[in-house]
Amino acid sequence: MEFGPIWRASLRNKTGPVLMALQIALTLAVIVNAVFIIKQRIDNITRPTGMDVENIVTVQSFGFGDDFDLQESVPEDLAALESIPGVLAVTSSQHVPLSGSGWGTELAGSSEDGAPRVNGAQYFVNADAVNAFGVALESGRAFTPEDVEYPENFGVPLSRVIMTRAYLDALFPEGGAQAGATVYDNLGNPVTVIGVLDRMHGAWVGWDKLDNVMLVPRVMPVEFNYYIVRAEPGERDRVMPQVEETLLAINDRRVVKSLRTHSDIRDSSYEGDRGMAVVLAVVVGLMAMVTGVGIVGLASFAVRQRVKQIGTRRAVGARRRDIVRYFMVENWMITTIGVAVGSVLTIAVNYWMVVSFELERLDPLYVPVGILALWLLGLLGVAGPARRASAISPAIATRTV
Amino acid sequence: MLEMHHISKVYRTGTVETHALRDFSLRVDEGEFVAVTGPSGSGKTTFLNIAGMLEDFTAGTYRLDAEDVSDLGDDARSRIRNEKIGFIFQSFNLIPDLNVFDNVDVPLRYRGFSGAERRRRIDEAVELVGLTSRMRHLPSQLSGGQQQRVAIARALAGAPRFLLADEPTGNLDSEMADGVMALLEDINAAGTTIVMVTHDADLAGRAPRNVQVLDGWVQETAEAIEPPVANRAPAELAVVGS
Repeated sequence: MEFGPIWRASLRNKTGPVLMALQIALTLAVIVNAVFIIKQRIDNITRPTGMDVENIVTVQSFGFGDDFDLQESVPEDLAALESIPGVLAVTSSQHVPLSGSGWGTELAGSSEDGAPRVNGAQYFVNADAVNAFGVALESGRAFTPEDVEYPENFGVPLSRVIMTRAYLDALFPEGGAQAGATVYDNLGNPVTVIGVLDRMHGAWVGWDKLDNVMLVPRVMPVEFNYYIVRAEPGERDRVMPQVEETLLAINDRRVVKSLRTHSDIRDSSYEGDRGMAVVLAVVVGLMAMVTGVGIVGLASFAVRQRVKQIGTRRAVGARRRDIVRYFMVENWMITTIGVAVGSVLTIAVNYWMVVSFELERLDPLYVPVGILALWLLGLLGVAGPARRASAISPAIATRTV
Repeated sequence: MLEMHHISKVYRTGTVETHALRDFSLRVDEGEFVAVTGPSGSGKTTFLNIAGMLEDFTAGTYRLDAEDVSDLGDDARSRIRNEKIGFIFQSFNLIPDLNVFDNVDVPLRYRGFSGAERRRRIDEAVELVGLTSRMRHLPSQLSGGQQQRVAIARALAGAPRFLLADEPTGNLDSEMADGVMALLEDINAAGTTIVMVTHDADLAGRAPRNVQVLDGWVQETAEAIEPPVANRAPAELAVVGS
């Protein structure tokens, strides 16, 4: 291998190789960090919600008549919706999980003053909520009709709830908390956890406490609510129009709106993540393309500049593969310097983003993978010009022009 | 050493055919110093390219060092160029970004010698041409004569069976040309076969044997090879004394 002569020759024509190495360094830093962010976004989008999102239809009911009473209306609505063929379970809820809109709450694992309080999302639901959301009960029990309360105001303390394992563990960080545990609301009132859910997502997909969710068996004295209608697999689209018709048939002194599939709501909430992933993917593609074109350009320029030199090398005994190898090695050396600088830059950029934007620390494995990718890009980029160089006739050596 | 029999070379551009060499036959024995002369366009360079296996020929046979090299593949031709032939070019053809040491090293690397062996050969070759003190100099830091000496060192470092020199003094003033010519004479005296292409009659006169190429035909004083009458060029062929 001609590392020494290539290196010494490069030192005498530094500008092109240095600029190329810097471009490679910048490309590595951008690509690695961008791919890492893309991976995080994809992980967010594809993480399990715990719910049967694909088979759920949601709809909002907004009563406007003076005599409209939601607490009276809900049992009748539920019965009617449950009677639609293809419907598995229905619950009322004041908001829809994953919608970006909801109610938060604050609980503590102890009644002592100063006990740490943990935020989570809460949903006021009916007896069949576990089935309606399609969530899995890890332990304890689901609600019964007798559990469901119809309070006259918001000041009535909670008595029993179902919550996610994540929320329970956050309240009892020492671990081991099970169904039957007592938690405390923000006024210090005890609340019994009668069931623990394996997993369920709350309202705000960008919230780091998305897994902290609590179901409360209660219908609040308000004008509007949502119905969560879970259909049998494959029946969602057929059930969907009947949901709206059924509710209006029961009581037309309300507005029935926002009839949407839960998967549509979820997708809308992740539009930002998806958009970010797409934009970054385009940036990664463009950076790779620009760098690849740069490598091709630099190598092509080098070949054009060295036609006589290549002919001379061929004349004094270089085989075609020796010429290809020469350009490959030269490019590999430039790329290697680039990725060496780029590795440091990558870590520095990630550190800056961690400090400035609270992003996650980069998985170190991404750096060697990025280096391999750029090495490969470099070799692919130089392959064409190197092949053209190897095709230069040794007879060029005897031409005087 | 070098035997060409009825070599022809035709360049084709579209429908136009240009006969660079016609029925060209030449034999050069081991240890000879042959000057090949001829006017521009006579076919000297084509002969040199074919002799140096830098390009193919259209018809005929070529034996180099008792080996028929007419139909060898590219790798085999590269190997023979590297091991048996040393090239000296009119414009030196040194690699401008490499110093003297690295320039002389170029063919040795393709030969696969060890680092120590390469270093020994480079030291010897550069010493032979009297440029040991310039070992780390770039070509741009050397005079034309010195650059041609480096090129000669590069050609000699691999201990080739013969040297092919293409107008080796063409870019040098008379004093430098004389020095380079003297060096070539010394190399030939040491046993290396040399074929030198030149248009300089004075220089050619210093070679023990002269061959003239005219319109693709070869002529020489002792063993003139007449072209077929039907193909003879209209101009009378010159005869150069040896």
